[in-house]
Amino acid sequence: MSKRAVAIAVLSFIGMFDALYLSLKRNAGPIPCHVTRGCTDVLTSRYSELMGIPLSVFGLIFYVAVFSLAVFEISGAGKTLNWVFWPATAGAAISAVLVGIQAFALKAYCEYCLLSAILVLSIFLLSPHPWVHKHPQ
Amino acid sequence: MSKAVKALIIIVLAVAVAGGAAVYFSRQPDQPTSTSATPSPTLKSTGGGHFRGPEKAKVTLVEFGDYQCPSCKAYHPLVLEALSRYPQDVRLEFHHYPLVSIHANSMAASLAVEAAGEQGKYWEMHDLIFEHQDEWSKSPNPEPDFIALAQRLGLNQNAFMQAMRSPQLQDRVLQDVVRAQQANVEAVPTFFIDGQKQNLPPSITAFVDTIESHLHDKASVNTNK
Repeated sequence: MSKRAVAIAVLSFIGMFDALYLSLKRNAGPIPCHVTRGCTDVLTSRYSELMGIPLSVFGLIFYVAVFSLAVFEISGAGKTLNWVFWPATAGAAISAVLVGIQAFALKAYCEYCLLSAILVLSIFLLSPHPWVHKHPQ
Repeated sequence: MSKAVKALIIIVLAVAVAGGAAVYFSRQPDQPTSTSATPSPTLKSTGGGHFRGPEKAKVTLVEFGDYQCPSCKAYHPLVLEALSRYPQDVRLEFHHYPLVSIHANSMAASLAVEAAGEQGKYWEMHDLIFEHQDEWSKSPNPEPDFIALAQRLGLNQNAFMQAMRSPQLQDRVLQDVVRAQQANVEAVPTFFIDGQKQNLPPSITAFVDTIESHLHDKASVNTNK
């Protein structure tokens, strides 16, 4: 069993919870922050949705997909972890933009979004690069 | 059972567990954000501000707010709910704190509310401006939106527009900004209850609990006298 696949599965499982929690909380009044200040500002800003769909829903789709690929790899059903790299690259780039928006445009931080950015970055760093032919265990 | 079927079962179970946990936690009443032992910053009487509720209320809730701030809009129903639960015991003292560097229309919104106040409709405009925040906050020129709201309240349009440009009203808002800075208000909304700075209440339950405890403290003090 690849330790890398297990780590990616754990990270994406946490991400699934984070994204689902945010999707449920988004339209239910103030969203409490425990570490940062400005969760409601960030999560109700015009940057928090795309075509009317909350970004947390896109995050949820990403995490479910990555989790599924990691579980298929762990169960030996295929070398599916190799497919994580490009979505994770896109996810890391989008997360960087979203953190930048929090820092410079909104001047408010949402801890749930920062957690998601850390998770995506970790998944990106852990995902096997396509130019590495031998899949490290 | 094939490996792929096993994997699918694990995925479905994991999604169900994450979903169940997310639903459970999202329905939990939130706790106040901090219970540190350090005393909360206090607010001495600042002067100014607009009052809602009885003059002899036992508890005064001071709010520093920005009409374009989404958090202030989110907390607005909580404030109204708290006032309606304690109509005799709680009053609101609202101060403007427009964060113009990130909310381009916030100063104009404060002026619109003050201008409505000149015709005796301060709180009506205060509520309407929050309710319609999504409409005017994205506009490059929100003045027509404010005029439309003023018309809904039956205000004299010319007097309203003139008041919005009045240096006296601008000065009133800027005095509130100075008060906010003197009170070390770092973000909006910031609430003080009887002069004590509050952690942002995450729910109406937490908000009411805090007010209840202040009312209870006041009652105890009066009983002991």
